[in-house]
Amino acid sequence: MPRIHLDGAPIEAQAEETVAAALLRAGVTTFTRSIKYHRPRGPFCFAGSCGQCLMRIDGLPSLPACRVRVAEGMRCERQNGPLGVENDLFRAADFLFPDGLDHHHLMVRSRLLGRVALEIARRLAGLGELPEAAERPGRGELRVVKLVIVGAGPAGLAAARAAGAGALLIEREGRAGGAELLFGAPVDTDAGPAELLLDAECVGLYANDTAIAGNALLAVRRRDRLLAIVAERVVIATGGVSQPVPFPGVDRPGVYAARGLLTLGARVGRELALVGEGKEANRCAEALSRRGYEMAVIPGVPRRALGNPVKAVDTAGGKRIRCDAVAIAQPPAPLHELATSAGAQAHFDGAGFPVQTDAEGRTSVPWLFAAGTVAGKPPLASGEGAGSAACR
Amino acid sequence: MPLSEKAIVCACEDVSVHDIDDAIAHGYADIESLKRYTGLGTGPCQGKSCEVGAMRICAQRNAVPPPAQVPFRARPPLAPTTMAAYAGLPAEVTGARHATRGLRPTWGGGAHPLQPPAPLPGSADVVIVGGGIMGLALAWNLAGKGAGRVLVLERGYLCEGASGRNGGGVRAQWTTPTLIELAKESIAFMARFAQELGINVWLRRGGYLFLAHDEETLRRIEYGAELQKRYGLPTRVITPGEAGEIVPQLDISRFLAASWNPEDGVVFPWPFLWGYADGARRRGAQVETFTRVTGLEVSDGRVRAVQTDRGRVAADRVVIAAGAWSPMVARLAGVQLPNVPYRHEIVSSEPLKPFLGPLVSMLGTGLYFSQSMRGEIVGGMGDPDEEPGLNQTSSLRFLARYGRALSELVPQLGAVKLLRQWAGCYDVTPDHSPVLGETPRVAGLLQMSGFVGHGFMMAPAVARRMAEWMGGAKDEIFERYNVRRFAEGRLIKETFIIG
Repeated sequence: MPRIHLDGAPIEAQAEETVAAALLRAGVTTFTRSIKYHRPRGPFCFAGSCGQCLMRIDGLPSLPACRVRVAEGMRCERQNGPLGVENDLFRAADFLFPDGLDHHHLMVRSRLLGRVALEIARRLAGLGELPEAAERPGRGELRVVKLVIVGAGPAGLAAARAAGAGALLIEREGRAGGAELLFGAPVDTDAGPAELLLDAECVGLYANDTAIAGNALLAVRRRDRLLAIVAERVVIATGGVSQPVPFPGVDRPGVYAARGLLTLGARVGRELALVGEGKEANRCAEALSRRGYEMAVIPGVPRRALGNPVKAVDTAGGKRIRCDAVAIAQPPAPLHELATSAGAQAHFDGAGFPVQTDAEGRTSVPWLFAAGTVAGKPPLASGEGAGSAACR
Repeated sequence: MPLSEKAIVCACEDVSVHDIDDAIAHGYADIESLKRYTGLGTGPCQGKSCEVGAMRICAQRNAVPPPAQVPFRARPPLAPTTMAAYAGLPAEVTGARHATRGLRPTWGGGAHPLQPPAPLPGSADVVIVGGGIMGLALAWNLAGKGAGRVLVLERGYLCEGASGRNGGGVRAQWTTPTLIELAKESIAFMARFAQELGINVWLRRGGYLFLAHDEETLRRIEYGAELQKRYGLPTRVITPGEAGEIVPQLDISRFLAASWNPEDGVVFPWPFLWGYADGARRRGAQVETFTRVTGLEVSDGRVRAVQTDRGRVAADRVVIAAGAWSPMVARLAGVQLPNVPYRHEIVSSEPLKPFLGPLVSMLGTGLYFSQSMRGEIVGGMGDPDEEPGLNQTSSLRFLARYGRALSELVPQLGAVKLLRQWAGCYDVTPDHSPVLGETPRVAGLLQMSGFVGHGFMMAPAVARRMAEWMGGAKDEIFERYNVRRFAEGRLIKETFIIG
């Protein structure tokens, strides 16, 4: 069993688990302090998206504890708590400014006080300290392909099967299947003759400006290196991302995305207050109960969450529900960023910004297609449609 | 000390529902302004956990109509990625290149859905085309001097152009006396901006460190330091060892000497625009966003009116302060400006605890970087292969070149993650000096452009002098920097251009 260190103290971890899982198992819920008010924060999404579990690991600042796997002797250090993260005295900022701190208009009357505010703000800014050591460039590569499909969930897999040979399917996780796997649903993970590249996260999609022919240029992260891909066409099937609901206390440790808890090896207590309603809440509740959780389902937006970590929720109706943790079960919001950064249009539908597509998955950018959750469409049919249209 | 009852929407930047309501109340409800005014979506998660929540609040408050309910422009990288990873990209990415087209606006096309329905006034005494820092600062100065009815027209949101896209560096280290004086006055004004305009701009005077990598550049910084000393600046040329004491993380084997002025600094650019716009409005000027100028009427050698997508405004004085768009606007009046737009790219890193005092620039490559008040390393780099054009898109090529250059100069930054890249346009003149004053043969058409990426740090002084000159005061810079100098061969060479 690997042993890791948190701020110098040893913690027994389990092989292959993430730092976040190891810390939660050891009862640590405050992973960092927030940037402005020094509020305690812990993991929320468990998918490397929300930025609430950033930690210094082996001398590198602000790594997502939910994505880094433990290793023997790993040094984990909590950030942004200069006098200790558990009892950070700078949390006074949260207490002194209960309605928030309007930094635009703070101390504007006096030049002297303004300069004092500047000096204080400068010293408190930032999260992580500089990396300990220099890092050499990670030797990157370049590939040229006809079609890239981003995301190997049901939609991306369907697109790959329809597109056939010559398509490259990239997936940021170590396995194909996407979020459906969390619910134990059967997923056809066959990519057909398309090539499947795992542990490959697309971090940038650009109009191709290299001298190589092709419309798109993708930056794909594979651990500490980047793979550049020039492609004629791109299908975005990135799925969705867990969302919080703004209510007082939602940012406290002990409030987790329901889908995040399903990815987590460790358990966070026994009794959950599950915030949500409709299909997403039902599916999450069912899957979480299979993991041994008991649940009180809270429809609507709660009035507040209490405790650090959260141990109770007040409902809108004024009822106090005690729990070991809170799970938020909102429908995941389309991960539109890759598509929209390349110019595709997206509009708000009340729950997110699905990328606008036509019946065959075309976006407003001629070489760019989108399918599945990211386009607000059923995965299999839209994936197949986009996969075949992108090959025509 | 109990935790407060804040309802946090953006956990990365600690933005609450209260903060969003406050921004809406200030008129910054469109998603791009909301992002900039509150800071939401600018942290490590890049908006993935807050953008939906924020838009839900805006929709509930009816703050923006459905066609404007679009995401803010997503900025690569979509997940934090180290400079070292970009530095290692292969030569094909940074080699020969083809120009690409710009992106369509996030809302689709045509008039912006947030364009105010009310018609513009039928006439004004002064119409200023461009709501960047130049136009807004001029409006504030003019309105304070009883210049009559002043109307500013901005085609997008405040901060959409270069004034909202620059790195916030402000310096007096220039090689022409006029620019030194304009910058000195402007920086002094920035230090009291909060008291004058009621909003913080966070001027932090950490100095500017120009690095010279070869003998020719060394001679340039020696000349510059000598001139600047004559104009009262504390600039001096220092050794690599001395530069290493100011920034210990520098690889001092990569340059021969440095030019150092500890009084230069960095600001937070956005509040300048909000501050000047609010200030101008308080003094009675009208600032209209999401309004496009479509024509300039000229007859008998005089400007007569401005046509817009919200109607015609008669005016006998029209100021073109549209930055890189100025030549396009001038053409509407049949005037050819020599200015050419060039894209410049920029990127911001993860927030780090303060370690870097000055803005550092390598004069040869145009690499520059500084640490913002939020702790991010903000920097950019020029690209000799950049094609002219109004292009505000981002490229992978830039991140690869910047990542390589910066992690060579500061090896410890190799493992620092980049968070957000964007681009803006420099408004480049043949001699790298601005275009000011009245247009030859078009009376009343005034120029205020051509600042080659440094207009931001000159604007407070330029706008003051321009307002006084428009009020009848004599000022030779509006003759000397007149556009006719290009036809007459009287160029005014400025050589300290970076980026």
